[in-house]
Amino acid sequence: MKAGLSLLLVASAALLTIGSLGLVIKRNVVVMLIGGQLMLAASGLAFVAFSRFGLGAVTAGNGAALALFAGLVGLAGLAVGVAMAAVVYREHDTLLVDEYESVAD
Amino acid sequence: MPLLKGLLPQAVSSQPEVLIIYLLLLLIIGSALASVVIRNLVFAIAAYSATMVAVALLYLMLAPFLLFAVQLLLFTTVSATLLVGLLRRTSGIEPAPDSPFSRELIAGIAVGAVLLALVGVVVGATNWPVRIVGIRPGLGGTLTEQYVVAIAVLVVVLASGALGAALLTSQRLSRRLPR
Repeated sequence: MKAGLSLLLVASAALLTIGSLGLVIKRNVVVMLIGGQLMLAASGLAFVAFSRFGLGAVTAGNGAALALFAGLVGLAGLAVGVAMAAVVYREHDTLLVDEYESVAD
Repeated sequence: MPLLKGLLPQAVSSQPEVLIIYLLLLLIIGSALASVVIRNLVFAIAAYSATMVAVALLYLMLAPFLLFAVQLLLFTTVSATLLVGLLRRTSGIEPAPDSPFSRELIAGIAVGAVLLALVGVVVGATNWPVRIVGIRPGLGGTLTEQYVVAIAVLVVVLASGALGAALLTSQRLSRRLPR
């Protein structure tokens, strides 16, 4: 039994799918934000997999650097998303996106 | 002239390490699934944090130590703190769906299945590793030598986003926004 590139890519794809499910299925803003973060974690996992087992090993550290960037961008996006959710919650008293008629109104 | 010389890094074959990797991947997938399925948002955030910690432990085995430390200390704690902070300001419990087979559920499963199939086909159809033709500079060197200004601008933009988010949720805007 071995653990290589294919195994990690399958795990990354599964994590990406679960994140997209959370983003599409759920109506709660918190779960949707979690889904987006899971998708970013999946991208980081794929970067690290290619860096460790694929041709990315030629330039060691690049995959980790990209995973770092993806995580930082995701964290900033999460901060903005949380702030927007808090502001919209004050307007509509709910976290369910179905209840938002129009944020622009 | 191909850049790569010699053999690619081989898959991990040491049985204890393989076992740990499999366990971590199972924990990642299971807790991620729980975080989007559980209706109680406190438990959902806890499951999400468990996912991020498991990813950090996986990075500890496969990636430089810096990524493990950043993933564990920065990404996990800050994202969980942000989500819990949002939860403290809101209701915190998601109500039950109107129907167990709602339109969103069907659409979500369809989108997820298509995405998984697409990624599976791409991964399965690609013959890893793809041959590298020509010399490519290292990304780390490129980022820190040629694109230092761009990185600095990116940091400023991201910091502005975080600062704006903090300002939006500050007490100064606690009043209701005008419609």
